[in-house]
Amino acid sequence: MPVRLSDRIGVGIAYVAGTILIVAVAVIMLWLIVQGLGTISWDFLTGEPAPGTLEQGVSGGILPAIVGTFLVVAFGMAVAFPLGLGVAIFLTEYRQPAWLAKGTDTAIDLIFGVPSIVFALFGLAIFSQGWLSFISNPVGDTGMATAQSFFCSSLMMALIGLPPVVRSSQAAILGVPDQQREAAYALGKGRLTTIRRIVVPGARPGIATGIVLGVGRIAGDTAIVWILLGGAVLQAPPDGWYLPWNLMDFLRSEGSTLTTYIFFSSPAGEGNSPGPAYGAAFVLMVVILIVNIALIRLSRRKIGKR
Amino acid sequence: MDPNDDQQRLDERAKRQEWRHALDRSADLRAAGDPTDPTAVAATPPPPPAAPAPDPLAAVEPAPFGAAAAVPAPPASAAEPDPVALAQPLAQPAHVADPADLVLAARGLRVAFSGNEILHGVDLDAPRGGVLALVGPSGCGKTTLLRSINRLTELAPTATIGGQILFDGADVYAGGTDLNLLRRRVGMVFQQPNPFPMTIFDNVAFAIREQAKRRPSRGELMPQVADVLQRAGLWDEVKDNLDRNALSLSGGQQQRLCIARTLAANPEVILMDEPCSALDPRSTARIEELIVQLAGSLTIVIVTHNLAQAKRIADYAAYLLNGDLIEQGIAQQVFEDPANQSTRDFVAGMFG
Repeated sequence: MPVRLSDRIGVGIAYVAGTILIVAVAVIMLWLIVQGLGTISWDFLTGEPAPGTLEQGVSGGILPAIVGTFLVVAFGMAVAFPLGLGVAIFLTEYRQPAWLAKGTDTAIDLIFGVPSIVFALFGLAIFSQGWLSFISNPVGDTGMATAQSFFCSSLMMALIGLPPVVRSSQAAILGVPDQQREAAYALGKGRLTTIRRIVVPGARPGIATGIVLGVGRIAGDTAIVWILLGGAVLQAPPDGWYLPWNLMDFLRSEGSTLTTYIFFSSPAGEGNSPGPAYGAAFVLMVVILIVNIALIRLSRRKIGKR
Repeated sequence: MDPNDDQQRLDERAKRQEWRHALDRSADLRAAGDPTDPTAVAATPPPPPAAPAPDPLAAVEPAPFGAAAAVPAPPASAAEPDPVALAQPLAQPAHVADPADLVLAARGLRVAFSGNEILHGVDLDAPRGGVLALVGPSGCGKTTLLRSINRLTELAPTATIGGQILFDGADVYAGGTDLNLLRRRVGMVFQQPNPFPMTIFDNVAFAIREQAKRRPSRGELMPQVADVLQRAGLWDEVKDNLDRNALSLSGGQQQRLCIARTLAANPEVILMDEPCSALDPRSTARIEELIVQLAGSLTIVIVTHNLAQAKRIADYAAYLLNGDLIEQGIAQQVFEDPANQSTRDFVAGMFG
């Protein structure tokens, strides 16, 4: 233990802060488990939402919501990850021209700071134009598009998933020692080879952290889903939506994710059935946790044999 | 991580530092002694037998300093004109008469970082074959000179470079130079061993793989990998675990791996930037042995802080001070009977 009083106070504050954090997280998790676990059953996980949710216990299952979350995350990251990694490489390894680098930097900060509902509204304005109806559906013969589909929401999700990918990858790439770049250059390797074979592999754990953070942001977002995927949770998905040949139709249709399901079925939404809301919240937490652990595990390279 | 591991590593580091200091002290003591100290002379190994140029050291040995007229005729086997001309003025190609014998030459090389000039117009001659040691006090520009040869200096965006570096007679700073080819032909070994965080095999294979159009298989690469590991004197230690992480090797082994990696690109010249300064004496001795061996088939330009090391391994030497090349020539000449007062003070251990 430190001897000086000021040191003791500092250490004390650190202990208290750490303890508060742990207690807060533990209480939230416990609450979710206690409240949610009772609702979770095989039927709940694999069923489709029932038509009426005003009475608790008959609100049906959350399978479409789980699938929706996976779809939005997968499509969103499919755009955000390559784009984000590319931006990170540009910002660290090239930074030329300077004005473009500066502009990109500012843009990333802005995207990071702006609430997702702003992007959702913007997306609505864009995707509702008639000529873009191929990624959602036309609205009768008004010449407009619904702007509500997995495609539309995923595209905007890519935007909010981008900043964490860029920032984490950037930090990780900067952490790759210059000596390794020099070693590669001194072996007659070009810049591209050096980036591909030395810099990016060396930055892998940090890049994975970026993906995890991006996945968390996308899976947790409600505003974009509500506006660009649809707020009608209980509208049953099209018949046979899970069949592969209906995939395009399904992706162009409205849907739901776990977050909108939670909102809808919570007492704040129309559903007024906190049980399923807690259950879905618990599932969402577990899903994100699994994705985190899997990605971090995968990113850890084990070099050679011991 | 095992805390004992950390402790052990710390202990090792402390030990290594002690050794290094001891080594430096002994180097200083040696340098401070009589320049004709027989041990110092004995420590200078003869130049490699396979050097393509006629043996310059043997030719110069009997000649006292300044007695250029007394230089013996070149060996009968050499078709080139007299390789030794010691009476020429300072900082001139004093030891090689035929420019075709120079594998590398700097001509009026000026390097500045953010306008602060580090090298003030350096003319350096590196004869083909053998070991050229660049010596001088800290901050004299040795490393900058070395890194300008394979154009690593320009990785710093603030660097401005003027003058020429001639490699096989062609200016590497001329437009249209294939940088990647230049850096394969002029390899480099760094001060800190810097293997990639890959397996031992992949470290060596990296140099070969990426310059091939198709990705060769492990079986195809193995003979080459084994060959360069053998030439770097590492094969016997690693042949049974080529799939181990290269970073699990000791510092000396890592540095030999870096040399093997460099050899895999098949260079004609290897630049070495204080390759032993992070190593203990035993590893240092192994690397020095290796350098002398390699100098039989290629040219090595080595920057070293360690005068004793320079005396042990160098065939030629160049002395730099504050960004100027003060003196260059046959190593024995520079170290034992230098023409310049500053060189004399430096090799006598009066500063630096």
